[in-house]
Amino acid sequence: MKFIRLRVANYRGVTAAEVTFGPAGITLVQGPNEAGKTSLGEAIGLLFDYLDSSKHRNIEAIKPVHRDEGPEIELQAESGPYAFTYFKRFLKKPETTLTVTRPKSENRTGREAHERAEAILRETLDIDLWKALIIQQGDAIHQPNLTKQASLSRALDKAAGGRPADPREEGLFDAVLEEYLRYYTERGTERKDLAEARKALTDAYAEVARIQKAIRDLDHDIERAASLQRELGQIKKQEEELTKERAAHTASLEEIGILENALSEARLKLKSAQQSEQIAHRDKEARQGLIGAADKAAKAHADIEESGVMSLAALNQAESKLKDAQTAFDESDRKRKGADALAVLRRADFDYYNNRLHFEQLRERKSRIDHARKNAAQAEEILARNSVDSRALKSIQDAERGLLTANAQLQTGAPSVLLRGLADCHLSVDDAEVSLSKGEVRTISVADTSRLSIPGVLDIEITAGASAEGLTRKVEAARRALGDACAKAGVSTPDDARKACDDRREAMRHVESKAQAEKENLRDLTYEELDRRLRGLEQSVPEYLARRVAEPPMCPDLESAKKERARAEALHHETVSQWESDREQLDAARSVRDVWNTKHQESRVQLDLLAKDLKNACDNLERARQSVTDDALETSLTNAVQAVASEEAGVRAAETSLKAKNPDKVKALAETAKGSLHTAQNRRNAAHTELTEVQTRLKIHGEEGLHEKLHGAQTRLDHLAADHASLLRRASSAKCLFETMREERDKARRAYVAPLKEKIEHLGRLVFDDSFQVDISEDLLIVSRTMNDITVPFDCLSGGTREQLSLIFRSACSMIVAKDGGAPLILDDTLGYTDPGRLRLMGAVLAKAAKECQIVIFTCVPDRYGNVGEATVVALT
Amino acid sequence: MIRFLHTSDWQLGMTRHFLSEGAQERYSQARFDAIRTMGRIAKEEQCRFVLVCGDAFESNQVDRKTVARAMEALKEVSVPVFILPGNHDPLNAASVYRSSTFIERKPAHVQVVENAAPIRVAAEVELVGAPWLSKRPATNPLEDAISALGPADGVSRICLAHGAVDTLTPDRESAGIISVAMLEQAIIEGKIHFAALGDRHSLTKVGDSGRIWYSGTPESTDFRETQSGYIHIVEIGDGTVASKGIQIGQWRFIERERVDLNTADDVEALRKSLEEIENKDRTVVRLSLVGSLTLTLSGALQNHILAANDVFGAFDVRADDLLVLPDHTDFANLGFSGFADGTVQRLRSKISEGRDEGTVAREALILMLRLARETV
Repeated sequence: MKFIRLRVANYRGVTAAEVTFGPAGITLVQGPNEAGKTSLGEAIGLLFDYLDSSKHRNIEAIKPVHRDEGPEIELQAESGPYAFTYFKRFLKKPETTLTVTRPKSENRTGREAHERAEAILRETLDIDLWKALIIQQGDAIHQPNLTKQASLSRALDKAAGGRPADPREEGLFDAVLEEYLRYYTERGTERKDLAEARKALTDAYAEVARIQKAIRDLDHDIERAASLQRELGQIKKQEEELTKERAAHTASLEEIGILENALSEARLKLKSAQQSEQIAHRDKEARQGLIGAADKAAKAHADIEESGVMSLAALNQAESKLKDAQTAFDESDRKRKGADALAVLRRADFDYYNNRLHFEQLRERKSRIDHARKNAAQAEEILARNSVDSRALKSIQDAERGLLTANAQLQTGAPSVLLRGLADCHLSVDDAEVSLSKGEVRTISVADTSRLSIPGVLDIEITAGASAEGLTRKVEAARRALGDACAKAGVSTPDDARKACDDRREAMRHVESKAQAEKENLRDLTYEELDRRLRGLEQSVPEYLARRVAEPPMCPDLESAKKERARAEALHHETVSQWESDREQLDAARSVRDVWNTKHQESRVQLDLLAKDLKNACDNLERARQSVTDDALETSLTNAVQAVASEEAGVRAAETSLKAKNPDKVKALAETAKGSLHTAQNRRNAAHTELTEVQTRLKIHGEEGLHEKLHGAQTRLDHLAADHASLLRRASSAKCLFETMREERDKARRAYVAPLKEKIEHLGRLVFDDSFQVDISEDLLIVSRTMNDITVPFDCLSGGTREQLSLIFRSACSMIVAKDGGAPLILDDTLGYTDPGRLRLMGAVLAKAAKECQIVIFTCVPDRYGNVGEATVVALT
Repeated sequence: MIRFLHTSDWQLGMTRHFLSEGAQERYSQARFDAIRTMGRIAKEEQCRFVLVCGDAFESNQVDRKTVARAMEALKEVSVPVFILPGNHDPLNAASVYRSSTFIERKPAHVQVVENAAPIRVAAEVELVGAPWLSKRPATNPLEDAISALGPADGVSRICLAHGAVDTLTPDRESAGIISVAMLEQAIIEGKIHFAALGDRHSLTKVGDSGRIWYSGTPESTDFRETQSGYIHIVEIGDGTVASKGIQIGQWRFIERERVDLNTADDVEALRKSLEEIENKDRTVVRLSLVGSLTLTLSGALQNHILAANDVFGAFDVRADDLLVLPDHTDFANLGFSGFADGTVQRLRSKISEGRDEGTVAREALILMLRLARETV
């Protein structure tokens, strides 16, 4: 709907006011207080809501003050396909006219006009939404109630998926909810009816089960009664048979009793005879015992006597043998001792010679050591004096070779004089006498000047030239070197040096041979030990000869001493063997003598004892015979044996008679029959008692009509089960339907809330920042605002913010429904809570909204809306 | 010549769980009424006595009221009545025939056949009964009873027995089976002249002699009975026998299997066919439905079933094989486009998945359809 013009007259304090709204966008109606701004906003609602004849207090409230005229409202508007002018005068000369110019001309008055206007409005406008979007003074911070706004829902549904919900669907949902609540609470728990139905069903099942059990029990009792009756019949028959059987057994048992008594009597007599026989036997055995004892004692005494004689002879023989053995042993002992002494002497002799030899060897070894030590000491002295070692000798020899070399070079390089003897002659060469034989040739090298003189004949001086001079100097140098080397070594010539070197080497050999001599001669001894032993032997060897016995004579040498020692030891061994043999024989003879001696003593003691026993036994036998003779005892025994045989025959006869009656079998059968009869009686009593009980139960329960009760209970159960199943089915279907529909409804709501949220956030970001978000409930209310990740519930926001959000919310709704005709957004002096900064931004919101829907703003503060962009401004005065 | 009324299987005290309380009472009363009817017919047909061949009572444990009402009804029978205990009411320790109510209220002309001893009911007629003494005898009591009999000299001997005969029973080895050959042999030997049997609920001739008969139950008890609701009038002459059945039952059991329902016409045809059934309050109907219906037609069918439930003695519908599938026509007129439409689509999807959830979803959809029609 779009407002074109609105006029009011005689409206509260307003005599006349008229607003022509802008063709689109914002119409800003400004004016001071009481100029009628609020009245204009209110008037549109009253025009459509009330008949001109209405006396409603809202109509009474607009009656003009101090004037007796009816308030008038006239609206020119377009809605959907319609363009119309709608006029009403209330209270005074009420009148309603509706002039429709499009789509076809209509003129209506009175109630018809009212209803037609209402119809047009209903057809083209969501009146509830329109009213919800109007902001009246003081309402600015409250959100509109948009639940059940069909046109908004439709628009949102369309925006969400193009499938707008039918308005009747909410009604259907309520009906479904109502059906659901018949079975379940709002929290989803079952109502009492369902629980009661279930309980009734359970009870019915229990009742059926109870009766079924009672019937089973009854059937069991019926079977049992028949069974018991059969059993009682059988028991009765059995009892009769058992009674007869028991009577027969009783008669047999009486006969058996008589025979048993006779047998007992015979056995008593037999027992008495047997006792008499036993006594006679015992007396006879006692007599025989006495006789036997006397005989036995006499025999034992005789045996021991004989044994004593034998043992004495053996003892004497043993004594004799012991004496011989002792004699032999003494001789052996004497011989052993002699051999012992001889062996000791011969060993000492041998040791003497041995020690003497050892003494000499030690003395020789000590002498060799001493000699080596002496040589070494001398060598040490030589070494201390003589420093010509091999190196020094080599230096000298090298110098010597140098001298020889220089001389040779001189002789080679210097002039030489060849002397050849023509005859034997003597001459002097450089003052040396030289003899030259005939034909002998000698060459003299002239190093510098040489003088040859043949005494008396000739004196020749030969002088070498310049080249020989150098060679001569070399020779001199070499000689000096040789001289130096010899001087250093402390010798005068190389030959001395060579000798000295040999001496030194010999001295060193002596030093070295000392250690070797000590090692070879000391062996495992030290020099001191060697010396000590030597001194010990030196003393002991001569002493032995002094203290040795004269006989036998001393052996002449070691070898004979050794032979004598061996001989003495062999003799000693032999005598010891003999001695040991004799000693063993002596011990054996002594043992034999001791054994026989012991036996002999024992025989003597036993013989005394047996003599006493023999006397006692003879005394006892004599006394017994004096009391009863042996013959009397024999007669008594014979009589007793005969009596026993007689009684045994009697017993056997009685036993045969009794056995013929088979008493064990008869007794067992009688006992069994008695027990069986007793058992049968017990069984009969028990069966009878049980039968009585069963019959009593049958009497009680058999006539209860259990069969029909069961059928009744079963029928009731079937009906209850059917009812319960039906109830459950209905409840389940209601639940299924409700839950499915609720889910679909919620899903649809969530879907259609999305465009609204988007629109609000789009507008809101003009005022707030880009992080601005809102959460919209399914009831189409802003639940919270989120900025910079901070979420604040709507009711906790400041008044100004709530006012801004409410206005943005309404603007968004208007924009959404504007495409389908929409509804003008009427704002009565809103944004009173908004600060100047936000006012400018809210102006932008309104300007944006105004591009899609008509906005009418009533205000007494025009500056508040200075930033709403293009607007039609209407001033009320 | 002697004429008697042969009946059996009164099954007094029988209940049927599918019957509602009122119908059950009518059903029970019909059985007592049948006794009175028998009394009247016995008199009209000049019967000398009435033979009840077993199972007069449904159980030994029937309610004492049932016994009392039976005795009251029997008082109105003017001829002697001989009752043979059967397998449902054997003469055991808890027999109804030994109950205090029976003993105290039994009319003098009513006699329980307690053993196989011949009962001379007239100068020329002798009865021989084979009562059941327990529910599960090793052999049918008739065998011993026949064995003990000598030839009937000068009397018409009528045998009362209860149990299935071997020629009509698949399980010939089961206990209590009566050998037809044995009976026929006894007839040939002249031991008996007529065998009045009970146990089978349909009036049935056994063998070809015309001397062995089941009387059937006087009131139907189940759907599968073919000749129930009859009594049997027998006339034995000198070497002849004649019999006839007279229908006295008031109750009918109608079973219709595989009633195919797919269209509105099918549903309407069913409604009409039900409507045409007479004596509905004493009629038990069982329908097995097949086919597939829309929700709308299913709703209509449910209404017909509810109406039938109100008028028939019992109305048992088995619709496990009847598919109820919503189609577009069910919701076409409701014009749903929003979440209600979404709900319809989801429930239809669940139905197509089958199982228990599918069944619940279908019922939910039917509920939704009903609520939508009530709301819109």
